[in-house]
Amino acid sequence: MLRRIAAKEILSTLRDRRAIVSNLLIPLLLLPIIMLGLPLLLGGLFEREAETVTTLAVQGLEQMPDELVALVEAQQARLEPFDDVERAVRDDEVPAGIVVPDGFAAALAAGESTSVGIYRKAGNIRSELNAGKLEGAVNAYRQLVVAERLGAAGIDPSVLEPVTIARLDASTDAERSSGQLAWLIPFFIAIWTLSGGQMTAIDATAGEKERGTLEVLLVAPVRRAEVVVGKFLATTLFGLMAASMAIVGFVVGGVVMRSIFLPRLGEDAGEMVAIMGGSLTITPLTVVLLLVSAVLLAGLVAALLISVTLFARSFKEAQTYVAPLSFLLIVPAIGLQFRDLIDAGTALYWIPMLNAMVLMDDVVRGSATVAGIGITWLSLLGVITLLLVFAFRSFGREDVLFRT
Amino acid sequence: MIHVQNLSKTFARVRAVDDVTFSVAAGEVFGLLGPNGAGKTTTLRILATLLRPDAGSASVAGLDVQRDAEAVRRTIGVVNGGMGLYDRLTGREILRYFGRLYDMDARAIDRRIAEVDDLLDLGDALTKPAGTFSTGMRQKVVIARAVLHDPPVIFFDEVTSGLDVMARRAVLDVVRAYPSAERAVIYSTHVMSEVEELCDRAAVLYRGRLVAQGSIDELKREAGETDLERAFFSLVERSGLAGDDDATRVAA
Repeated sequence: MLRRIAAKEILSTLRDRRAIVSNLLIPLLLLPIIMLGLPLLLGGLFEREAETVTTLAVQGLEQMPDELVALVEAQQARLEPFDDVERAVRDDEVPAGIVVPDGFAAALAAGESTSVGIYRKAGNIRSELNAGKLEGAVNAYRQLVVAERLGAAGIDPSVLEPVTIARLDASTDAERSSGQLAWLIPFFIAIWTLSGGQMTAIDATAGEKERGTLEVLLVAPVRRAEVVVGKFLATTLFGLMAASMAIVGFVVGGVVMRSIFLPRLGEDAGEMVAIMGGSLTITPLTVVLLLVSAVLLAGLVAALLISVTLFARSFKEAQTYVAPLSFLLIVPAIGLQFRDLIDAGTALYWIPMLNAMVLMDDVVRGSATVAGIGITWLSLLGVITLLLVFAFRSFGREDVLFRT
Repeated sequence: MIHVQNLSKTFARVRAVDDVTFSVAAGEVFGLLGPNGAGKTTTLRILATLLRPDAGSASVAGLDVQRDAEAVRRTIGVVNGGMGLYDRLTGREILRYFGRLYDMDARAIDRRIAEVDDLLDLGDALTKPAGTFSTGMRQKVVIARAVLHDPPVIFFDEVTSGLDVMARRAVLDVVRAYPSAERAVIYSTHVMSEVEELCDRAAVLYRGRLVAQGSIDELKREAGETDLERAFFSLVERSGLAGDDDATRVAA
């Protein structure tokens, strides 16, 4: 009976072209587009900005040593004298400008300290980039002067750095390779289960009420528990399908990115790999752990969907109930990024939704513990059961079924 | 075949059904006659095990609607005016789904679909998705779904509202032909002519109360009228419920 009810919901969703597009196609395409499109676009912009020769304002050009001018010009910039650099930058005539005070050359020649001013528009990326060019040039020039003065005094420049710091990494290979965005996978599963399952959930609950088919279904000799579980299973299935599509999209995007972009990026490639999910350590055991956790997480979202949408009288009303649910998923996903700071021990694994995300993060980092796995699965199963019992009770309530 | 004894049901503070008693014998089409809000749908929903009565009892084919709810559901078919169907499924898919819910095997379902197709002339409705149906087609498939498992008892609740004259005729013919030695029908409506044409006996409901019951001739005789519509108003007026403010519907 369960299978029959689920099968009808599945068939009905499959016939809905909109649901198929939003369930399967969008999650499959969205991530590759974002992953490939965004770096392409931004990379292109940054590259262009770095390569084109920009005009920058200067006040007191005659005070500027030739070495400093050469260093600025080496950064793809051309200096043009302005009477009022501040205004030139404010009025967007130039993206950035430098003010060299009177007596600058004299002070340097005398071995004294002096300063320059660099104007920018804070928060304007183009302006900051160009101000950065100026700063870079001034810094390089400063090092030249320091080396020159120390040399003149017969001192080795290494006196400036009596102690150096070596940054050493103690993390395991699995931790290192899991990537800073590894938390995205459990987040995708949750968020795409919500979006992929909601069509089926709403259609199977509020939709049946709105069409007047629920009454006919309940007049059939079917147990209400079977109706609830059948609809829950169909919702979970479509949620998981959407989530799987999103993960396929993520992986495909990652592969394409590695083969197309990374060769062009050169030495930054390693860092990019780490950020975009890294190279996960996949063993049969981690696959099983991830799969079970993903199914339970999807089940939790589906149970939540069914029990919430059942209260709505119409499709539209149900959609307004579902919208805030995404916050329930986003909050733990954000929290997960700060998990190193939250030292809650195993308590974290008792919190449904968050625990699935934490556990999946653990699994890809290779740091999952038996206690963490046990508590997480138990807690998820418990909450799913509670939600389904709640939905079943609602199915028995006259005011919920016949609200008009 | 159907027994309703002192049935009452209150929603919030409104008495939707108030101490209603009637019986329907095999072979009968029994009419529930009354305006909107008379308690017809609530009575039928209690008989269909969808609502629990506050007081009284009801049985269908000897089965108590509360104690043997699941067995009652196997015994009945329900057609309501909502005409709800799954818009993305074809007529045949909808009928197969409900056939399976009644534990019918695939062969029995297809045989029954052929039979109801003969009876109702479903035509294209079997192969097209329900979302494309005309109102008449829709109601035919709704009826086909209700009779598919060949239930001994069928409830029709305001089934002709919104139908054109052809579709209405087809529906009335099905209702008229349904009863037999082992089958009975309850037909709920506010249309007097339908009751007069279809029903062997009828109950007049008004504001949750059963005002009168009997054969159509008995009802007319009791009211001293020759026309059923006049008889209806006369019976309602005599009951003392008409014209009162809503306080009479509010439980003490």
